[in-house]
Amino acid sequence: MAITGLIKGLGITLKHFIETYTVDLKDGKKRYNTPEGIKERSSADTKGIFTVQYPFEKVPVPEAFRYIPFLVFDESESGEKDIRCTSCGICAKVCPPQCIWITRSVNPETGKPVPKPAKFFIDIDICMNCGLCAEFCPFEAIRMDHDYEISSFNRFDHHIYDLDKLLKPAKYYAKIHPKQYAEEEAARIEKEAKKAAAKATKPA
Amino acid sequence: MSDEKLNNPGIEIPPELSNQIAVTTLDKIYNWSRAKSLWPMMFGLACCAIEMIITASSRFDFSRFGMEVMRPSPRQADVMLVSGTVTKKMIPQIVRLYNQMSEPRYVLAMGACASGGGPFKEGYNVVSGVDKFIPVDIYVPGCPPTPQALLHGLIMLTKKIETEKLSEAEWYKKDFNEEIPVPILGPDLIDPRKYDVIKNHTFNEDPFIDGGLVIDQKQGEQS
Repeated sequence: MAITGLIKGLGITLKHFIETYTVDLKDGKKRYNTPEGIKERSSADTKGIFTVQYPFEKVPVPEAFRYIPFLVFDESESGEKDIRCTSCGICAKVCPPQCIWITRSVNPETGKPVPKPAKFFIDIDICMNCGLCAEFCPFEAIRMDHDYEISSFNRFDHHIYDLDKLLKPAKYYAKIHPKQYAEEEAARIEKEAKKAAAKATKPA
Repeated sequence: MSDEKLNNPGIEIPPELSNQIAVTTLDKIYNWSRAKSLWPMMFGLACCAIEMIITASSRFDFSRFGMEVMRPSPRQADVMLVSGTVTKKMIPQIVRLYNQMSEPRYVLAMGACASGGGPFKEGYNVVSGVDKFIPVDIYVPGCPPTPQALLHGLIMLTKKIETEKLSEAEWYKKDFNEEIPVPILGPDLIDPRKYDVIKNHTFNEDPFIDGGLVIDQKQGEQS
């Protein structure tokens, strides 16, 4: 009994081994370094080699994939960065591991606070990728990034992200979160239309 | 992975011999052979370890980079993947394992907990960052890092190894002793390197304490 089971198991291993050659001979070039090939090799009933050859080909991440947060800015027509963040501090308060620091900027002439962040830091070695900051942000200013290739040699030099590293254009956000971006844009346009309608009726 | 060729182009090789002869430096061949056969130590601490196992299995397969087998013995391992939350009870064992590894040895802090404490950074039972005790070569952020993020970290580590020089390598110097004192787990964690600070703290009747460090009394009065 034991021997037949052993032979059966080794037979399966041999079958898989031979399959790696037959499948590659049949459609070798189509399988590697193409999006269809990666998808085919990710499916449950794939045959042959299914290893992702990582630095050369990458598994596409889903839209809801969360890594490190980033700040969205809109680019105005003159090319200026219009940061969506108003430094309200909700993200810093809800952050479970408390990895966000914000300083509000101050108007140098009047000394009154301006709703823009002067400093914004995220310690990405503390961040637990939960996405609560993105969920709670009322201004759609902080969103989760898809870039996971951020390991480095020095934690304090490279892994405490400041505004320079965090700010990314709305175009990039639309690219990585197409569905969510479209929904938010539709909601924003509807809200503005309502506001305009209310304004039009009020003075009358 | 690296575009740099092993051949040193500084010396001209006659075209008829170009297929048979390769000229390189000792540094390059030494680093090349080390970076391409980096054996990790087999131990996992928390949820990051699951992600590390996936990286080792056939879907991502880090034996493509020469990390062929995970060695269960620290004597045969080159790189220590600190994969997960390091509790205060675990750090003495990790430091001991690190001391048992043979040089050159590397440490990769995987995930938020190992790099900086993560959500437990002010916890009563968790070390906030393994780099407080052992030197970390590379930090991989994420909670947990995806297999591809870990592979990126390992590739970065091989790049770091390729820049090292034999003449500057610490572990071949005569008076090299990088043994790290093993921390003691008492009522709390005690780092033997900080005995003096702890002693001051304990025996000073009216210690002016700021940020865990005992400051000179005079400085305290001035400010």
